[in-house]
Amino acid sequence: MNISRRGMLFGTSSVGALACLFGVTNVNAKMIIGSSANDRQTITKMIKTLYPHERFPDGPYQRTTDDVIGKGNADPAKTLMMRDGIADLRKASFDSLNFREATNYLKEIEGSAFFSHVRGTSVVTLYNDKEVWDLLGYEGASYEKGGYVNRGFNDLNWLPEPRITEHPDHANFFTATQNKLAELKQTNTNK
Amino acid sequence: MNKIDKNESAVVIIGSGAGGGTMAYELTKAGIPCVCLEAGSYIKPEDYTSDEWGAFMQMAWLDARGTSGSWRVNKDFPGLPAWLVKAVGGTTTHWAGATPRFMDYEFKTRTTYGNVDGANLLDWPVSLNEMEPYYDKAEKAIGSTHRHGRPPLPANNNYKVFANGAENVGYKFYATGPYGTNATPYDGRPGSIQDGFNFQGDKNSSKWSTAVREIPRALKTGLLDLRPNSHVIQITHDKDGKANSVLYVDENGDIQRQKAKVVCVAGNSIESPRLLLLSSSSMFPDGLANSSGQVGRNYMRHMTGSMYARFDKPVNMYRGETMAGFIADEVVNDPARGFVGGYYMETLALGPAFLGAFLDPGAWRADFSKMMDGYSNLAGMWLVGEDMPQSTNRVTLSDSIKDQYGMAAPNVHFDDHPNDVAMREYAYEKAEALYKSVGAVQTVRTPPYPSTHNLGTNRMSEKPEDGVVDKWGRAHDMKNLFISDGSVMTSGAAANPTLTITALAIRQGEYLANELKKGNL
Repeated sequence: MNISRRGMLFGTSSVGALACLFGVTNVNAKMIIGSSANDRQTITKMIKTLYPHERFPDGPYQRTTDDVIGKGNADPAKTLMMRDGIADLRKASFDSLNFREATNYLKEIEGSAFFSHVRGTSVVTLYNDKEVWDLLGYEGASYEKGGYVNRGFNDLNWLPEPRITEHPDHANFFTATQNKLAELKQTNTNK
Repeated sequence: MNKIDKNESAVVIIGSGAGGGTMAYELTKAGIPCVCLEAGSYIKPEDYTSDEWGAFMQMAWLDARGTSGSWRVNKDFPGLPAWLVKAVGGTTTHWAGATPRFMDYEFKTRTTYGNVDGANLLDWPVSLNEMEPYYDKAEKAIGSTHRHGRPPLPANNNYKVFANGAENVGYKFYATGPYGTNATPYDGRPGSIQDGFNFQGDKNSSKWSTAVREIPRALKTGLLDLRPNSHVIQITHDKDGKANSVLYVDENGDIQRQKAKVVCVAGNSIESPRLLLLSSSSMFPDGLANSSGQVGRNYMRHMTGSMYARFDKPVNMYRGETMAGFIADEVVNDPARGFVGGYYMETLALGPAFLGAFLDPGAWRADFSKMMDGYSNLAGMWLVGEDMPQSTNRVTLSDSIKDQYGMAAPNVHFDDHPNDVAMREYAYEKAEALYKSVGAVQTVRTPPYPSTHNLGTNRMSEKPEDGVVDKWGRAHDMKNLFISDGSVMTSGAAANPTLTITALAIRQGEYLANELKKGNL
């Protein structure tokens, strides 16, 4: 299953979905939109505005930018969508806006296909970045290391140790509902 | 492995998950040879990958599907109504492991809840009393913790937050189970190493699935002909209206015909009704077993929602068993809360990759980033409750979408019932209160996402006009057609469905074996 299918499933590209529907593919498209240094910078700024993390270095944002550009040129229809989206950012002088202004501008274009593409791709790619996982303290795969059973699965120490068995009344709880049902039936019969 | 000739009229099971895999084992154990056709490949524990997206792309059912209706999934994940598995073992590969039983009243919703506007409620033709011995058998097969002498799993970090919150707000019925993953070695499989991955398949095989228990054991009997990569596209019938063969597409894309004396359909609640509808004929223009018109209707997916809470201290919720934490106090029918039926609260953890995709689909900006930034300080829970069966919530054949074989794709239409909405709102408030009681600084209400609990589209009924199958899961209209999955559920209850699907399959297997031995088929 390829990556563009993932994009379709997660609603990152209605334009792409349409292109697929009509069987338009152009893997070797010569026109690649967004890859100039200037465009990359603009797209990176958009991603940083969407998902701001002060402690993230440039690397994850750059890799996310690569993915936004790559998937944004997966077929000709997407390439045109990218072209128009970036042109709109230029018209709004997006590069010179401060964070609050940039956020407000993105709110205005939230319904656009270009916005959906950049946001939908970014949320998947940025938080699937291994460097981001490290920064967030997520250790991921552990089977090869023997799991977390000896590596902190229960190391939380700011709360008391809770009970893990069922409450002694639990079995009665189930029976109680049966009695309640019997009661209810009786009431219905009496009516 | 047993090879059954395609021209031999065999017992044919379609699907190998909780229902189909269990049927294959029950029947072969009773000496009955079976063909099991599985659309997916045989992915084994050593092939599982501890990576959320990697595993999703490896095993999720991604064939074309349509969605419609006012449910949020249709907006956030169009074309992906459900999160199911296409592999030997079906969705037991992906299930977390929760094994609560249904409550007695949950088998009698029409009697207990009365007439609820817009809901198509019906009592099951089976009671808890009749199900109890099969629940026992299913719990022993699965190895449920807290049951039949099986020890509980220990508290992981996410559970510690959850259980302390439960205690603070006055809940009593919390525990780390019942859960279908070994705390200590059992049944030839090891105890959990708390590796944090079970939605992706358990590499350690501590978690029960039919891929690690029922299917290998059925193969060992020498009576099972397991055919992976075999996607069934039609069930055919003879002039007397009895099923007589199954047509499937093999791994080379060729259509094969397996003759059948009995067909057990266990393709999950989207594919099973779809297959009956795809099998329409001049004798059955509305699809097989559909004289009631109920095939595909009453689709249920549970009232779901999740709650994630950020704390100012570390939790590391991803370490350990994902769903080994239950609160059962809200599983009561108390209409004073503003809705009928009840719900469970269960621990839940996602990695950053899936949390990004599911936390609040479409969201961005500072609040979202703050939650993600505080990932190691997050705790999470799932809210899962009974949703109302509605006649209009329905699996139909799509007019426009085709699958990879050119067959009409299923369309899943769903609208929340007001009862579902009221329950979800109430459950969110309770979950927030629970987390606030242990110091949450931020909480997020995660909306329902593609469902793993898909139920009710071939429901059981006493009377043929009310449903598709009888109390044994046998089609009212076709005596050699059985439905062996969660689509037979007349109502959905609050409980996670796998235990009940398995218990029903054990019971059906016993019944079918007897019927075959008596020559009634």
